[in-house]
This record gives sequence, C-alpha cells and structure tokens, in this order.
Amino acid sequence: MSFALKAAVANTGRRAALRPAAGLLASRSIHASQPARLADPAFSAPPPSASPSQPITTIAQKGSNQLSLEQPQNRAEYVLSTLDKVTNWARQGSMWPMTFGLACCAVEMMHMAAARYDQDRLGVVFRASPRQSDIMIVAGTLTNKMAPALRKVYDQMPEPRWVISMGSCANGGGYYHYSYSVVRGCDRIVPVDIYVPGCPPTAEALLYGMLQLQRKMRRSRKGVLWYRK
Amino acid sequence: MVSLLRTIRNARRVGLREWWRQLNYIGDAKSGKYIGSDQFGNRYFENRNGEEEVPGRHRWVDFAQHDFNATQVPPEWHSWIHHIRKEPPTNDSVVQNLSPPWKAPYIENLTGTRGAYKSYNTVVPKINAWDPKVKARA
Repeated sequence: MSFALKAAVANTGRRAALRPAAGLLASRSIHASQPARLADPAFSAPPPSASPSQPITTIAQKGSNQLSLEQPQNRAEYVLSTLDKVTNWARQGSMWPMTFGLACCAVEMMHMAAARYDQDRLGVVFRASPRQSDIMIVAGTLTNKMAPALRKVYDQMPEPRWVISMGSCANGGGYYHYSYSVVRGCDRIVPVDIYVPGCPPTAEALLYGMLQLQRKMRRSRKGVLWYRK
Repeated sequence: MVSLLRTIRNARRVGLREWWRQLNYIGDAKSGKYIGSDQFGNRYFENRNGEEEVPGRHRWVDFAQHDFNATQVPPEWHSWIHHIRKEPPTNDSVVQNLSPPWKAPYIENLTGTRGAYKSYNTVVPKINAWDPKVKARA
C-alpha cells in the first residue's frame, strides 16, 4: 500500500518534470471554447510564455489601444498623460464609496471597514450621502422595488463615478435569479465597473475588488484621449 | 515597529538602492533573509527576529512588476507567505513532489487587460449603446 503510494508520488513528480512548459495565450478570443482553440492551427504554435523580463500583463497589452495611450508621442501628450496620472493618483487615494447595503453582503462590506481589513488605510471612507461619494458598492440582492431607488442614488452621485457589484445576487441575480421580484443583475440598472464574485464575497475579496478598481482608475488617460481626438 | 533607529539600521543593511526601492514599493525599510524567488522574478524574504519585525510582518514579497498586485504570487509561494506551509517551496518536498500533472501554468489576474476571461456567450447583449431615434413630429 505504502509502496504503491510512494510510486504514485514519484510518478506525479516525474510527469510534472517532463511536462512541456506551456505558456499562455495572452489574448483569448471571445467565442472559442478550449477544444476549438486546440484544433485551430493558429493557436497550436507555442504561445509566449511568462518570464521575469516579460510578464504576462506586458504580453497581454501588446498592440492594444491602452498601451498606445500610455506611450506619449509628443510633448503635449506627455504633459497631458502626466496630468492624467496626477488625477488618477488623487482619485485612487480617496475612494469614497456610497454604501448600498441590501442584504448579507453588506455584513461583509462592514467587515471591510472594520479593524482587520481596515479600508481606511487605502483612503476608502464610507459616505452616507450619494452627493459626497464617487463609488457605489451594490451589496446584495437588488429587487424590482429597490431598482428605481438604486438608479436615483446613482444619478445623484457626481462624476466621475464607479460602481462595484458585490456578490452573485448583484452580479446576476444569483440565488434569486428566477424569482419574480428580483433584478437579474444590477448591471441592468447601472453600469458596473467591477464585479466581485462570491455568495457573499469575503471582505478580503471585496478589498481586492477595490484594489482592482484602483488599477482601473490608474489606466485612465482621459486627457490624452481628448487630445488625440 | 517603525522607528527611526530601525529605518536607519535596515537601510544600512540592505543598501541605499534597495532601501529606495523598498520605500517606493513596500513603504517601509525591511531587512531579512532572502528565501527565494518564483518564476515571475518576485523575491521573498523572511525575518523571524521578533525584535526587528512584528510577528505577522515577518514574511514579505518584493514584487518584480511595477504595477503589482497580490495575484502575482503563485500558489506555492502563496502558501508559504500566508503561513499555510512552514517551509518555502524550494525546501518543501511535499509541494515539490505532489504537483499534479494536470496543473496548468499559473497566470495572474488579467482583469482589465486583453487577456481577461470572457465566457462563451450566445445570449443577446443585455446592454446596448443608446441609439437616439427621433420620431417625426406631427
């Protein structure tokens, strides 16, 4: 018994060592499942692998509009992209979320505010008024009855504003997807920036969602975009 | 805890260049034993001296990328840095031998880039751009 187990362990190790180091496709196509991609000769070539000198994010960015925006081509663009960066820095340093706690997700949202995950160290402070906040965290099941209220609160928020959809109920109805009284995803009511999966997501996951939103804010190059147009 | 003495001591230990990098990315001057690095070039450190590092801050990572996030830590090192496993994956024979053959290479979170996962979808899009159509007035 123990010998067989040992052999199995050794075999797994050997197989892992012999396995070709497969990289990953940086750009996944939208309508292609795994077997379809494998059959395609374009994908059978060895994909670029992630190495310290060329991380996967760099590979994924190759030839994208975003990369072009981040590389200024003349002085005006250099100034504008620097101003953009300053704006992004200011925005990501004080994200004030409007708390739209609707269900059990709100409890996890409170945990994010509490001592352990301590959102305040990132400059995230809950505001009770939509007029003072620039992020809305939709935490919980959005019902048909609540939807107009959600939209009104969103409309009252000043620009620029972002929305984090928290939990599977807000993402797509979740457990109550087939209920007669539930909106199947809050993205039917407001445009959503970050979807945090989970039922409910942990406070850690929500905080990671906030960090992803910071990443999204950092990517913004509105000034350069305006100049190029 | 952070103090001037500790900052000066750690800066002297790691050198000026490394200290500047730490100030920019970690926000603190830390010195410790270099444990190893992963396939992405992230470096992992440990300082188990309770006088120098607060317990809980005694394992840390120095990310290779400028735009770093926590998903750049591969699972083997994740288990080390979160104290799930005692030994780093370079020393841990269990982690080294029990890597399942079906395991795909680790990818960091590509949300927001062109590598982001999009599920197979045949449903009519829920959200459409507003196309204003003005009706002819009577």
